Amino acid sequence: CSSPAGIMLLEVFLVLGTVVIYFLLSRKEEATLLPLKEGWWGKGQKPDTEEDKTIRPFKVETTEEELSDLFRRLDQARFTEPLENSRFHYGTNSKYLRKVVSYWKNQFNWKKQVEVLNKYPQFKTKIQGIDVHFVHVKPPCLPEGQSAKPLLMVHGWPGSFYEFYKIIPLLTDPASHGLSGEHVFEVICPSIPGYGFSEAPHKKGFDSVSAASVFYELMLRLGFNEFYAQGGDAGWLICTNLAQIAPSQVKGLHLNLALVTKMGVIHLLSVLLGRYLPGLFGFQDEDVRRMFPFLQKGLYKSLVESGYAHIQATKPDTVGCGLNDSPVGLAAYILEKFSTWTDPEFRDLEDGGLERKFSLDDLLTNIMIYWVSGCMVSSMRFYKEALQNGLGTQKHDKLTVQVPTGIASFPNEIMHTPQAWAQKKYINIVSFHFMPRGGHFAALEEPELLAEDILQFVGKVEKEQLWRKK
Amino acid sequence: RSFEYSQKNAVLIPVAALGIGGILLYWLRSRHKIKTIEMGDGWWGSGERPLKGKEDESIRPFKIETSDKEIEDLHRRLEQARYAQPLEGAAFDYGFNSNYLQKVVAYWRNQFDWRKQVEVLNKYPHFQTTIEGIDIHFIHVKPSYVPHGRAVKPLLMVHGWPGSFYEFYKIIPLLTEPARHGLNEADVVFEIICPSIPGYGFSEAPHQKGFDSIATARIFHKLMNRLGFKEYYLQGGDWGSRITTNMAQMLPQSVKGLHLNLVFTGLGGLRNMLSVLVGAYVPWLVGFTREDVRRMYPFIQKNFYQILQESGYLHIQATKPDTAGCGVNDSPVGLAAYILEKFSTWTDKSFLHKENGGLESKYTLDELLTNVMIYWVTASIVSSMRYYKENISKDPGLSTDARIGVHVPTGIAAFPQEIMHTPPVWAKKIFRNIITYSYMPRGGHFAAFEEPRLLAEDIIHFVRKVEKL
Repeated sequence: CSSPAGIMLLEVFLVLGTVVIYFLLSRKEEATLLPLKEGWWGKGQKPDTEEDKTIRPFKVETTEEELSDLFRRLDQARFTEPLENSRFHYGTNSKYLRKVVSYWKNQFNWKKQVEVLNKYPQFKTKIQGIDVHFVHVKPPCLPEGQSAKPLLMVHGWPGSFYEFYKIIPLLTDPASHGLSGEHVFEVICPSIPGYGFSEAPHKKGFDSVSAASVFYELMLRLGFNEFYAQGGDAGWLICTNLAQIAPSQVKGLHLNLALVTKMGVIHLLSVLLGRYLPGLFGFQDEDVRRMFPFLQKGLYKSLVESGYAHIQATKPDTVGCGLNDSPVGLAAYILEKFSTWTDPEFRDLEDGGLERKFSLDDLLTNIMIYWVSGCMVSSMRFYKEALQNGLGTQKHDKLTVQVPTGIASFPNEIMHTPQAWAQKKYINIVSFHFMPRGGHFAALEEPELLAEDILQFVGKVEKEQLWRKK
Repeated sequence: RSFEYSQKNAVLIPVAALGIGGILLYWLRSRHKIKTIEMGDGWWGSGERPLKGKEDESIRPFKIETSDKEIEDLHRRLEQARYAQPLEGAAFDYGFNSNYLQKVVAYWRNQFDWRKQVEVLNKYPHFQTTIEGIDIHFIHVKPSYVPHGRAVKPLLMVHGWPGSFYEFYKIIPLLTEPARHGLNEADVVFEIICPSIPGYGFSEAPHQKGFDSIATARIFHKLMNRLGFKEYYLQGGDWGSRITTNMAQMLPQSVKGLHLNLVFTGLGGLRNMLSVLVGAYVPWLVGFTREDVRRMYPFIQKNFYQILQESGYLHIQATKPDTAGCGVNDSPVGLAAYILEKFSTWTDKSFLHKENGGLESKYTLDELLTNVMIYWVTASIVSSMRYYKENISKDPGLSTDARIGVHVPTGIAAFPQEIMHTPPVWAKKIFRNIITYSYMPRGGHFAAFEEPRLLAEDIIHFVRKVEKL
């Protein structure tokens, strides 16, 4: 049954058959709160004493020993010749990787990058038994009568708080960067527990709801009763959960990724017929352009690109082991994502197109955060905790988000979510924009575009005091 | 005029009858003619295939060697290994437990003797020969004593991932000298050939894209041919099962018998899924035996969920092998964790819940580490992983072509702890000439390594039946 007519007939049949079932099975989405997840993630037993709630200043440090150990490993790196003409289709091309390693050894200056990291004030505080690291940047100068709006920005995998270093000044001091100065932010970028300089949980079960609960406590501890939240990748999920836990505290939720985790019949139908009847399913032209042909752009692509998620969701300690011991292996693993998730066409390039959008200094600084903190394994465990019971099975998957939401939809994002799908979960979408360019690592790759979208979103929320109307 | 007409008819009708009859005969015969996989040809060396000159077909003796430099480099890396604390109470649920890994590495650094293991590896004769542009490594073991009047049967045994030719070291003596090892069927004696799949161990890795099991099957046929064999037996598990099956489909006239300890039927399609649903309630209706039921149900949990839990490596290797292999080719500790996790979980699924992964209850650290060292010293982990991409991108379901089927005499040894159980009723759809199907009493995926005696007995039992035919 491969003829177009045959497919059409099959699809019509499916529509008739399933429309009935859909109406029979459709249920109203719940509008209840996601409960705060209390936990204790420290080593051993939880002590009886009260937790130390002080917020301690923190500085990233390095030592000669750390550097010489790194160089020794880079020197002894063993590479495997790529297959002829394989470019980035088999993963990170080792010919290009050699060039990166050469730069890493000879030009990259970790001491200098540590100073760059330390240019923003960093802190640590113990929450639910583990040390949580975060960057806290206040506006350099606040115009008369204006107050800084607290904005929590959460990174993802394989990123870090460092991804926000270019966008932070655009948000704390927009006027100096050619953006509207109507709203000014103080930005808080924590490291997800198990990532970078945040301590890794010692107990099983630390998922996105746990992270959201920890960050909720963090914001309260910092004295914020109301704040905005922004995220992509894991940050998308954590901020979404945060909005579900504390809708009265989260004034607005801005996302550069919004995946559908709960697929229903309507999604299947829209995939089958959306190309021919886009209006019926609420698809815009740009949605159609990005999503179809679905088999190729949706199903096939996600299968080809999700191997890492599959192994991390099942055997994180195995796959992370070698990566925590070989900086070159770590770099190969992380760089592959910065290449393919920025633009899938980069797989056709011998050098993965990495330096077209990022500097090697930025890429290696992010990798170094994973290396010096030894956090690769714990970062991968997050996938297992989130996915081990299956996709879309958790309570938070079934709850909606009532908080005003803004979505910046970047064209090269791994999977495209049309507004029609997103609004089933985010029932209060205030802004949804197709961004002109950019991929998964939006804050690092297109900080101005992202900042502009955040600013206009907050502008809308503030103007209509939308947070009051929930 | 009418005369001409009838003359024409007189010629036309018999001719037409002959023609139709001929076509009918041809069609009838072709239905019974066995379809085979096309042999094709290939070139896997660097650069362009040389236009002139014949390939060097010499078979060169080979010995595994090591050096102080190699051992010192290994020791240095083991000493500088960085570990991540396992989660409390995780055992092997999150993958290889790093507390136990540290113990393994301590043994590796301080007690494991690679020089001694190299001597163990060299106890069988090794060779290399160039086929289709790459060096193929193999061991060739002949029996030292042949019973009077008995013919020695050539047997090609093919390993899989993350194994190697070394997996067969315990079973080889049981097959070359069964009588000496107390195996009753002393009238069947083998000479064993164990090659390394190109890209694995001491076989050169292909330099071109597209090297799949069909190319491997063809190369191994060429190898056997070069060794002077016209007819031979095949044995395989894991990739070895797929390769030997392809060999049987490619040149059935050369394959006297095919013995497998793993059967690739893929997902089997809608029919198999339906029979799974029905079989839960009325197994006899879909042809499941009681043992099939015991091994397969609860289906969703035992098969579907478990397959998802255990196939992450397959997914990433089938899509990004160069990324997945990079770190483990540079960190021996990472390599050991990655490989030994399979030796734990694929030997017995309950080992997931043990702090030490149950490894030393079935294997010695020496033999486990020797296999890991083969991947380490040859730096072949990346090319071994590429095999997944080359095969799975062409056939995501990893099924066996049922239109071609397998017609050579087949013997199947079904081990209880194998990753997926294939009931005989499903196997019969592809393997049209099953001579023996044995439910083995114990053992998992690495049958030759873990239960060499059981496997040897089943191979001998199968071959005896084939020879009696």
